[in-house]
Formats: sequence, structure tokens, C-alpha cells
Amino acid sequence: MNLDALDIHNDEISARKDFLEFGDADVESLVAAHEMAQTYADPVIEDFYRHLLSFPQGRAFFQDPAVLSRVKQAQGNYFLDLTRGDYGPEYVRNRLRIGAVHQRIGLPFQIYLGMYNWYLRTVANNFFEANSKNPAQALKLLLSLTKLVFFDIGLAMEVYLKTIEEQQEAIKELSTPVLQLREGLLILPIVGALNSARARQLTEQLLRAIASRRAKMVVMDVTGVPAVDSKVANHLVQTVAASRLMGATVIVTGLSPEVAQALVAIGVDLSSVKTAGDLQSGIEEAELLLGYRVIRVEAN
Amino acid sequence: MTPILRHKDVLIASIQSALSDADWMTLSDELSRRIGEMRAKAVVIDLTMMDVMDSFATRILRTIAQTIMLRGAQTIVVGIQPDVAMAMVQLGLAQRLEGILTALDLDQGLGLAEALV
Repeated sequence: MNLDALDIHNDEISARKDFLEFGDADVESLVAAHEMAQTYADPVIEDFYRHLLSFPQGRAFFQDPAVLSRVKQAQGNYFLDLTRGDYGPEYVRNRLRIGAVHQRIGLPFQIYLGMYNWYLRTVANNFFEANSKNPAQALKLLLSLTKLVFFDIGLAMEVYLKTIEEQQEAIKELSTPVLQLREGLLILPIVGALNSARARQLTEQLLRAIASRRAKMVVMDVTGVPAVDSKVANHLVQTVAASRLMGATVIVTGLSPEVAQALVAIGVDLSSVKTAGDLQSGIEEAELLLGYRVIRVEAN
Repeated sequence: MTPILRHKDVLIASIQSALSDADWMTLSDELSRRIGEMRAKAVVIDLTMMDVMDSFATRILRTIAQTIMLRGAQTIVVGIQPDVAMAMVQLGLAQRLEGILTALDLDQGLGLAEALV
């Protein structure tokens, strides 16, 4: 996803920090802990992944050792960033980027939160161990860190929510209308790439329309589908087969010369599918089969 | 036990619930016998009430259709619901019904039967 779309600028960053009451004193105490953080960064990161990988739901995301060593590296950097004292736009952008990476691999947000909780607990132990003579100091540091961590969680959550929003937007754009042209005749113009999820949604929509409009013929126009590979072709075959089970005949139109050649070359069997050259001939054929005759009343 | 009704020269079998394998076999026997007795030209099998069609049911439906064809009549399957159609296609059962006439509901099925010679 496009992180710029989130548009978190300086004012917004300050407003969020104000709300968390994250101020200079917090920055100070975090920076003061930087040296301590450096000493136990490596063991903490090791433990972090040991914990994460001891659960099947965590293991699933880090199968590849190369990926794992890369994320460990990134996690180590983040760990030190927490006490570096620079929590400006650059820091925010990094948080968003990391959030986006995790969102993209499909890491559930619960795991994200769970690992933050683990962090806080582990670091709290370390703080109190290092400041065993001055627990008040350790608590102060822990509270500052908690504010910062909540600031970071907010950013990551935003990435997740934004992605859901974008996907819903995309689905809305791609939704396909089922139009009734005449009694018993539906038109289904498909525009845009077809994937399994969309093909399924489209088929369900069509089947419901067949039932509710009592359609006997459907003209499905794929002129607007950029690429028809064997997978898409199978979806089309399935849609046609499902419609037939409900007593409706589907005519597929708009298979371009390139697409037709490609389908033959990859050996897709479309023999069960009725086709017509373009939308017009498809409609004409459907009308004929339904017993309609279209007559021009007056020559012009 | 599925009742078999008669409307003019069409037999109607309306499946009311999920049938056991034995029920399907009985229906198959009954239909092929009655078709001769009543000199019916078509059998309409109504699946409106079925919310699932499994592999066995689909196969026996095909067998019924083929038997009825040998007995000189046509089979028209009607009333398959959208969800059922979707599931059948995904399970790869739809091909088994290829060549069998289908219609949306009983009304359209009877219309189709009337149009048959």
C-alpha cells in the first residue's frame, strides 16, 4: 500500500504525542536508557523470536531463515530506536513501513499486540533489575516507554485499517452489475482482472439474479477482461456450468483474437461454452433463442 | 418415499428432503417403471428443497436421466438453488449433469417439457 496516503505530518505527530502526554521528560529518560538498551538488545531480540516461533501461528510467518535473520536485524534496529531520542517524521515513517510489511505478510494484529506486550514485560524486568536500588526510576522509564509503544501501536494499527479500507474500495470498484436487457435475458459485462475471489462473487451474484429475474439466457461479455489465462477460463467454465444447473444458458462474448489463440494454445477446453464474436451478436443470438424478433419499424 | 405426480404427459418427482441412497434407488426404479405405464414423454425432477447435492445424488441423477432416455423420455432437472449450483460446480459435480435438461423452477420445467415433441 501507499504509505503517503496515510498523510501523517508534523502537526498530527505532535497532537498524538500530546494526547499520550509524551514530552521532553520522557525523551530524556528514554535516551538515558540507551546505553543499557544496547547491552541487552541482542539477548532480548533472540528471546523475542524464540517466544514468537514457539507458537504455530507465529512460526507460519517466518519459515525462511533468510527472512528471519532480516527481520531480526530490523527488530534490533527498532529496539535501539526506542531509546535513540528521535521520534520525528523519520521514526514515524519507519513504524508505518514496518506495519505495512507485517500487514502484507498477513501477520494477525493480535500477534502484533501480543509481541508488544511481551516486549514491555521483558523490558520491565530488565529495567527493574538494572535499577534495583531505585525502583521509582525504573517505573518512570517504563511509563515513558509505554507511551512510546502505544504511539507506535497506533501507527501500525493505522496501516492495517487503511489496507482494509483500500481493499473494500477496490472491491466496490470491481463489482459487476447484472443487467436485465429483456424478459429472460441478462447481460453481465465483466471489466477488469478476474481472480478467484472475484469470479466467485460474480458467479454468486449472477446465480441470484438468474433466480430473481427468472432468466433463461445470459450474455457474459469479457471484452474488458485484460488477460484470460487457464485459471480465468476455468472460472468462466464454472460460471457457465453453475448457470446451466439453474436452467440458464450463457453465451460468452468478446474473446479477442489474442485471447482465443492463447486459450487454444494452453489447451483450455471451452467446448461446453457457447460463444459469440461480440456483445451484439451475443445479444442477437440470445434473442433468437428466446423467440424475440427485433424489427426496425422505419428505415432511415 | 418421494411422491411421483402426473401432469398431462409429464411425471413430476419433487424431492422433499435429503434422500438416503436406498431412497434414490427406489425413486429411480419407480420412475422408469411409471414412465412406461403412463406413456409419459418427460420427467421433471424438482430439487428446490435440496440444500446439498453430493456425489452420490448427482451420479444417481445422471443414471436416472440415462435410464429414462432409454425408456424413450426426457429428464428435466429443476429448482437447483444458487448456493447448491455453486457448490456442485466447485466440487466438480456439474459435468455429470451435462446433457441433461435443466430449468429454473417447476413452472419453467413444465414449459420446457411441453415444448418437447
